[in-house]
Amino acid sequence: MNPIIKISHLDKYFGKLHVLKDVSLELVPKEVCCLIGRSGSGKSTLLRCINFLEEPSAGIIEVDGLEVHVEVKGKQRRQLVHDLRLKTGMVFQEFNLFPHLSVIENVIEGPITVNNMDKTKAIEIAEMNLERVGMLGKRDEYPNRLSGGQKQRVAIARALAMGPKVMLFDEPTSALDPELIGEVLTVMKKLAEEGTTMLVVTHEMGFAQEVADRIIVLADGQIIEQGRPDQLFSNPQDKRTQALLERYHN
Amino acid sequence: MSLFGHKNNIDQPKTQGELIYDAQNRTKRMFTTNVAISWIILLLFLFFLFSGLTITLGGYTFKTIHLDTVFIQENLSFIASGIGVTIGISLLSILLATVLALLAALGRLSKIPPVYALSTFYVSLIRGTPLYLQIFFFFLALPQLGIILTGLYAGVLALGLNYGAYMSEIFRAGLSSVGKGQREAALAIGMTPSQMMRRVVLPQALRFALPPTGNEFIAMLKDSALVSATGFVHELMWRATRVGRAQFHNLEALIIAAVFYWIMTLIFTSLQSRLEAHMARGDR
Repeated sequence: MNPIIKISHLDKYFGKLHVLKDVSLELVPKEVCCLIGRSGSGKSTLLRCINFLEEPSAGIIEVDGLEVHVEVKGKQRRQLVHDLRLKTGMVFQEFNLFPHLSVIENVIEGPITVNNMDKTKAIEIAEMNLERVGMLGKRDEYPNRLSGGQKQRVAIARALAMGPKVMLFDEPTSALDPELIGEVLTVMKKLAEEGTTMLVVTHEMGFAQEVADRIIVLADGQIIEQGRPDQLFSNPQDKRTQALLERYHN
Repeated sequence: MSLFGHKNNIDQPKTQGELIYDAQNRTKRMFTTNVAISWIILLLFLFFLFSGLTITLGGYTFKTIHLDTVFIQENLSFIASGIGVTIGISLLSILLATVLALLAALGRLSKIPPVYALSTFYVSLIRGTPLYLQIFFFFLALPQLGIILTGLYAGVLALGLNYGAYMSEIFRAGLSSVGKGQREAALAIGMTPSQMMRRVVLPQALRFALPPTGNEFIAMLKDSALVSATGFVHELMWRATRVGRAQFHNLEALIIAAVFYWIMTLIFTSLQSRLEAHMARGDR
């Protein structure tokens, strides 16, 4: 099967700091892939390089057949990055809902502003996606009236409404109170079962073990190990992976 | 029993928490009441000061300030008819100031050197010179270059430019209050930078800037009095000085104008606090 995400020889520097070192990675359609690693290992940066929220320093990003070489500059680059962002949906740790817009307005904003969709159609799509995340009941609330878990579910619906080819999750439960994590993970699990291609940066080992098709371990800006959850959890090869997983085994 | 199911405080003694809460409320209420009473006393004292009464106390005779009530009656409506002009000038000027402040704030946040420079240059120049000078500059100095502005236009231009420079800080703070996460979320769903600005950043920044802009408007109501110096804008201050000088009743005339300015300020300040309370009710 052709990969839907293909990252080739990605390098990223923050000033002199080499945070991603020649990282290559492929995801096939419908694959659910969890990126784990200690903080500072570069996992969030890797994810954010895929839709150019971080500018990669070198390499090629390919999503759904759209290839973006980091060296390309100017107008052509802007267009490519824009198209790349349309193929990816992103969910942030801090939700980043638009506070001046209601739940439904948050979700129709992208389709209307970016895709020039007509409002009736956009609302139809938004309602369908709010239903998917179980938030249709709050369609007219404003974000400040929602719990963290509810905000994150709306944020997922907002990303889904753009019809992305892949979903990128950047520590989607790290800012949540422990009792609210479950509802978000449940939604993500449902999306995985529906066949959504997902790349998830997470510390939730339980989720990774249960839902992921593959787990990728990052350390010091490199992929040090990857494999099916059962293999990786039962028989980690690298010392750093062992240290990482040890904390979750107890 | 109470209709609404409140605790019946005759049967049940209050908890310690309730007692403390009641005591705190009492203290707060007492403070508010005492402040209100003091205000009334100060006002009465002010009235007394201008009452024109003569009082003899223990052999000493005190005379309070006497105001010419006939003059006041005859000229009250002439001065009052400047209120509309004062509000009008202030509205026009604040509108111009808002546009300039927003542009200056955007320029200040720009990464293009000439744009950044233009913004800081404008703010520095305007804040480095007196408003009074700026009004005269537009009214008296420009005609030497062949540009003749009426007093009204010169005044609005000067006030707008001046307040725009000061208010650019407000809009800069407003723009900065919109977090990086908001911008990233907008970009991630595929917005262009200009869509992000229009749909996500500006609406939030303007909400943030609205209450302080209200404060600036209130300050503008009073600074608009400087425009009277051109001699051609018939606002409150111009009217007061005109009749005051002509009939040598500056005391009465200026007191009338002061009362009008004060009342306008009180009204707009109360509207302003309501607006602020409304905006504070949530991230809406």
